[in-house]
Amino acid sequence: MDVRALSEIGLRIVFGSLGLAAFGIFFGLVYKGIDRKLSAHMQGRIGPPFRQPFRDVAKLFVKENIVPDHAIPWIFNLIPLVGLIGTLSILVYLPLGGFPPLFSSGGDLIVVLYLLIIPSLCLVIGGFSSGSPYAIVGAQREMATMIAYEFPFAILVITIAWNLLQKGVTEVFSFSTIASTPVWNQVAGPLGFIGFAILLVVLLLVTPAELSKIPFDSAEAETELAGGLLVEYSGRNLAMFYLTDGVKTVVMASIIVALFFPYNLSALLGLGTYEGMIIDVVFFLFKVFLVVLFSVTLIRVSIARLKIDQIVYTYWIPLTLASLVGLILVMWDSVIMNFFTTA
Amino acid sequence: MFTLESGSGFWNPILWILVLLITFLLFYGIRGFGKSTYKKGTEQTKAFLSGNKEPSPEEMHIKASNLYWGFTTSMKSLYSVLRKMHTGNTSDYILWFVLVLAVLLLILGVM
Repeated sequence: MDVRALSEIGLRIVFGSLGLAAFGIFFGLVYKGIDRKLSAHMQGRIGPPFRQPFRDVAKLFVKENIVPDHAIPWIFNLIPLVGLIGTLSILVYLPLGGFPPLFSSGGDLIVVLYLLIIPSLCLVIGGFSSGSPYAIVGAQREMATMIAYEFPFAILVITIAWNLLQKGVTEVFSFSTIASTPVWNQVAGPLGFIGFAILLVVLLLVTPAELSKIPFDSAEAETELAGGLLVEYSGRNLAMFYLTDGVKTVVMASIIVALFFPYNLSALLGLGTYEGMIIDVVFFLFKVFLVVLFSVTLIRVSIARLKIDQIVYTYWIPLTLASLVGLILVMWDSVIMNFFTTA
Repeated sequence: MFTLESGSGFWNPILWILVLLITFLLFYGIRGFGKSTYKKGTEQTKAFLSGNKEPSPEEMHIKASNLYWGFTTSMKSLYSVLRKMHTGNTSDYILWFVLVLAVLLLILGVM
């Protein structure tokens, strides 16, 4: 590889990472603001202004950064930062705003599945390093929740990849491949459609647990554990976790959009380069908003917090069974449709 | 370059580490703008326990086995059967191991 190509990659890494970091932080906080405003209206409250999350971060930066007596200071201080950069790094593998991933050949869906563990794991390590019983109980609950929701999520990923493999597609875990061959275009009949619809619902229900939102937020549980694994965090450290939460919302919504709704409007409307790009970005942000609305806002205002045993049960029994049914329906789809077309 | 390929999946760890490094430098700098001080050795550095007096760390210890409570409680019916089968004898444990292995080998042999 020559110097020119290397410098191009270097510039791409530097400016791409900085640009995606700005995108993730800004829209993470914007969607947080929208979620808070909408949920307040649904509960008959006025709620905070849309820009409140930005104010919260600014306020946290001028607050004292308290390290408890029994905490392990270097882990306690470092881990919020690790959580944030780990979450931001996922954005380089995702197609955003109608554009292909920044590094489409740098990692695939399996890598993203593993990287999604980082923010939750950082919360767990931060909780354990706090030296507070509330935080330790919260960290244990977060671990149990992580173990619970990974199972149906993994079945969903395998189903999408298997279906593409059956259609003769190569690099089935690549986001570029998945985005260019939408799942709804691959179904042969109603069974496949129902199967993928079930899997979409499962993914929408995995999202609140990934984001530690009600009803799957027993790890934080303000009324019971006073914030759980974040109880001892304050100031700039809490600001880092706050930003991580916002970025993770964008990441999870972008994954759902990439897996199930990778369509763009520019091709449909026959728009030119610049108008098309703008329309696609706006359409992408709208799709992300819809995902946040259905998987976070509507669920958290309508259901009360579940206990940790109920969370484990929900993911391991009904949702795992539902995702297996989805997998079987997708498998039967092509077999049965082939039978009818040949008969 | 430096991309690990498993046949169906791929990952370039060097690229990921570089992205981490750049974002770390950026947010380490941003974090530096935040206030770093607090009142050491005062009430504010004690663990928040809803107004209760803070016991010694030994008394506040949370058992690691609590982690499994959610699983054992939600699947009580399954665990109660498994617990009855579990005698605690190593010989019984090995017998189960050999039996399951034999069944697995049988299935593999038939397939």
